[in-house]
Amino acid sequence: MKASDLITILPELILALSACLILVVEPLLKKDKTASVAIALTALLAAGVVALGLSGETRSAFNNMVVLNDYARFFTVLFSAAGVLTVLMTPRYLEAYDRHMGEFYALLLFAVVGMDLMAASRDFIAFYVGLELMAISSYLLAGFLRYQMRSNEAALKYFLTGCFASAITLYGVSLVYGLTGATNYEQVGQSLMASGNTTAVAFATALVLVGTGFKISVAPFHMWTPDVYEGAPTPVAAFFSVGPKAAGFSAILMIFVTVFAVSADTWSTLFIVLSLVTMVVGNLFALVQKNIKRMLAYSSIAHVGYLLAALGALGRGDDFLPGQAILLYLTAYTFMNLGAFGVLAYLKTQSEEFDYSLSDMAGLGRRAPWAAALMSLFLFSLTGIPGTAGFIGKFYLFNSIIRADLTWLAVIAVIFSAVSAYYYLRVVMYMFFREPEVEFATKEPINGPLAASLALSALGVLVIGLLPAGFWSAAQSAWGNFFG
Amino acid sequence: MDYGFAEQIGFRALTLLTFLPALGALIMLLFLRHRPNAFKAAALVTSLATFGLSLYMLTVFDTTTAAYQFQENFVWINSFGINYHLGVDGISMLLIVLTTFLSVIAIIGSWNYVKDRELAFFVSLLLLETGMLGVFGAMDMFLFYVFWEIQLIPMYFLIGIWGGARRVYAAIKFFLYTFAGSVLMLVAMLGIVWWYSKSSGTMTFDIQTLQSAGFPSNVQSWAFLGFFIAFAIKVPMFPVHTWLPDAHVEAPTAGSVILAGVLLKMGVYGMIRFCVGFFPEATIKAVPWVMVLSIIAIIYGACVSLVQPDMKKLVAYSSVSHMGFITAGLFTFNAQGVEGSVLQMINHGILTGALFQMVGFFYERTHTRLIKDYGGMARPLPVAAAFFSLFVLGSLGLPGLNGFVGEFLILLGIFQYAKIAAAIASIGIILGAAYLLWMYQRTMFQELTNKKWIDLKDLNLREIVTLVPLVAAALFIGLYPAPFLEMLHAPTQNILAQVQPYMADKQSILQLASSFLGGF
Repeated sequence: MKASDLITILPELILALSACLILVVEPLLKKDKTASVAIALTALLAAGVVALGLSGETRSAFNNMVVLNDYARFFTVLFSAAGVLTVLMTPRYLEAYDRHMGEFYALLLFAVVGMDLMAASRDFIAFYVGLELMAISSYLLAGFLRYQMRSNEAALKYFLTGCFASAITLYGVSLVYGLTGATNYEQVGQSLMASGNTTAVAFATALVLVGTGFKISVAPFHMWTPDVYEGAPTPVAAFFSVGPKAAGFSAILMIFVTVFAVSADTWSTLFIVLSLVTMVVGNLFALVQKNIKRMLAYSSIAHVGYLLAALGALGRGDDFLPGQAILLYLTAYTFMNLGAFGVLAYLKTQSEEFDYSLSDMAGLGRRAPWAAALMSLFLFSLTGIPGTAGFIGKFYLFNSIIRADLTWLAVIAVIFSAVSAYYYLRVVMYMFFREPEVEFATKEPINGPLAASLALSALGVLVIGLLPAGFWSAAQSAWGNFFG
Repeated sequence: MDYGFAEQIGFRALTLLTFLPALGALIMLLFLRHRPNAFKAAALVTSLATFGLSLYMLTVFDTTTAAYQFQENFVWINSFGINYHLGVDGISMLLIVLTTFLSVIAIIGSWNYVKDRELAFFVSLLLLETGMLGVFGAMDMFLFYVFWEIQLIPMYFLIGIWGGARRVYAAIKFFLYTFAGSVLMLVAMLGIVWWYSKSSGTMTFDIQTLQSAGFPSNVQSWAFLGFFIAFAIKVPMFPVHTWLPDAHVEAPTAGSVILAGVLLKMGVYGMIRFCVGFFPEATIKAVPWVMVLSIIAIIYGACVSLVQPDMKKLVAYSSVSHMGFITAGLFTFNAQGVEGSVLQMINHGILTGALFQMVGFFYERTHTRLIKDYGGMARPLPVAAAFFSLFVLGSLGLPGLNGFVGEFLILLGIFQYAKIAAAIASIGIILGAAYLLWMYQRTMFQELTNKKWIDLKDLNLREIVTLVPLVAAALFIGLYPAPFLEMLHAPTQNILAQVQPYMADKQSILQLASSFLGGF
């Protein structure tokens, strides 16, 4: 181990040490949680800034197990952003349940470390460690409201399916190791390329795909998603819907492009088929949800469907356009989805009876105009209305799919995004066109850290929506030294 | 001559025009929230200023050329060749004036219409205006798409919040129909940009560049379909017209005025700009099909209007019929048909807007729109009845009023295309006279069936002020259409030149029918 190795993983180090620091500080400052929040925020910001500051060159560490290049940097910054937005919306929410504890932030930081590691890994072992670190922290976060039955249920479901998925991934990895005798992506990729696309390789590809598919809730491996989102604390559900998902994509892109280049035809077809299934399941089930958290869960499945279509295109095409589009889409998705969940978190802090049902949203435009306006913005963005991040994401994504000669797939995807307009707009409809059945009090306006979180999300949605050029070139440069 | 904004008018007129309403809305939201009279006045001033600016641009406008004028262009998203590019030709300039004109009418007309959330209502109207102006001014496909989609949102709220009993259903239906069409258009856009970048090596969304791209036949037919479906839904053409009656009946008066007056025209405008401009060959191939659908719309819309018990629904279905004339006129692709079609867009905007406004005024007094509840209304409301008669007569095509000029030109065009089509379309005009006059007779004449309405107040000054400009416009175009037609000459020649190479392929309806029957 060299000192330069430590510098390469400096963002992860900062996060991990800060998480430990929170665990130390927590018992000392019994009542006051400001310190924990401050440490978490500082750590996340520092990780992002350091990653950007180490820019320019590609650093590799620990015998090329992890690499810090523009690709890893892109995701490190994205995960930090998701982390910051989540941390900001948490305090008021947990206070409402009387469960505001510093451990929450420590777990969140550990999860982000795992995610960063997944994006930076160049080796199956490092990848698996990252995956598990993220997953185990996530199980705990899902069950953080341990006096709530739903939260416990969410944690248990997530844990069981998560273990199952990890095991399947590991089985695929072990097959690869058996075939090639290596765990380093590059070495494995080269030996597989030499051996050709055999049945065993195809089988290993499928296993890794299924295992990681669980994490990003690809149908038919999505069953856990709505239950976990519904039961988990809302800020946690918000984080799950963007963080681990983006981390899953970061690893999938890396693994399938570098390791399984030889079986590109196989996985490309698999992804296209799964994309169709996922779009159908996500959109059609979202149509009938009465609970907004469940609706957002199915909507996140639908968005994964669009992203999978681009993964299919990535296997077909001869450039990285779909990969770049996926990165941009994930960025856009992070802001709009965290925003939508953030508004729900706010509403829950205002009234205990609020149970995330559609009818509870009725008349929100009158009761809480700001919350309703922000929610509408995020929902319009999820629909893909121009001027918002969601449109830009879809624009680049569908463009890349069409350019891979998969126009029929793009047509299906846009038809489903027209279907999705129905369930997103239904929430807007309830907020503005319906009178409330039960009058909830909104005791206080949106304020404090939560307001900052929502404002930043809204800003992100609008800036990406109107001035996407900078984000696109960031996504381009991330793929520029993808292999470096 | 160069038609950049700097040489022509000296300031960024189109940007100012497009965003002036949005700016007014912003000022209302920030500074005038709690003062209803002040924000209503601000809305009016904003719309008047926008109208004034559009008139000023009209005076500077050069009618001798088909070139796009007042052009502004700067880079927006460089890597994709997306520019913020604005410009207008005679067609879009006229539609812009129509938009700013009807926006003023809509704002004055709904001064006391809404009681609930007034600020949001007027803000929505102004944002809608910005969206519509952007659609007509955009010279970049991406920019066009942005405005095309964005104007859905204020309209969705206008119908959904301030609409009638089934407003929620109508608002969602309106949104989903249009949205489903426009996402297909998005795919078609990306498809042709891809093709163009493959063949020329540069990626661009610029409308002018793509108009001269010369797409091959197979690309044309698919992409044409993508665009055409989106526009056909907006027009709306038979059989995708079913959102229109719902949206119109449920929308507040101002919403109906704008919807009928401007939003429907965006569909035809899109066909002219994109279908004809990009895919002339596919457009010509589609001529007999579009003609058949248009004529079905003319007759079907008229027949359904005949049996409507609800005045507003009657006017809505009459729009389906009238829009059938407009699409039929455009797809004749001869000078009379095309010019008549564009002029009729303006006429229909004025007359149908006026009819909806009238129905709105009646409704505000009686709270019913059912024809059977009316009868003999000319007695308590003589002034209103007089105005109403003018708009009804204009709408059925009485010479001297504007409706006649457009319909006449269109029929002339259709006649040159196919005599049988012209014959059937004329039946539509007869039916139009029937349902409009019959409605007028049942509502305004006869005995005053409902005695409680003897004390109704006639139109007040504000309402008359709303209607007088509409009457003036109807009379002006009816008696002296020359200046309007003059604006359309150059762009029409441009359209005809675009399709000229393919005109030999143009099939008549009979040929289409015989080739069909031959297949059996």
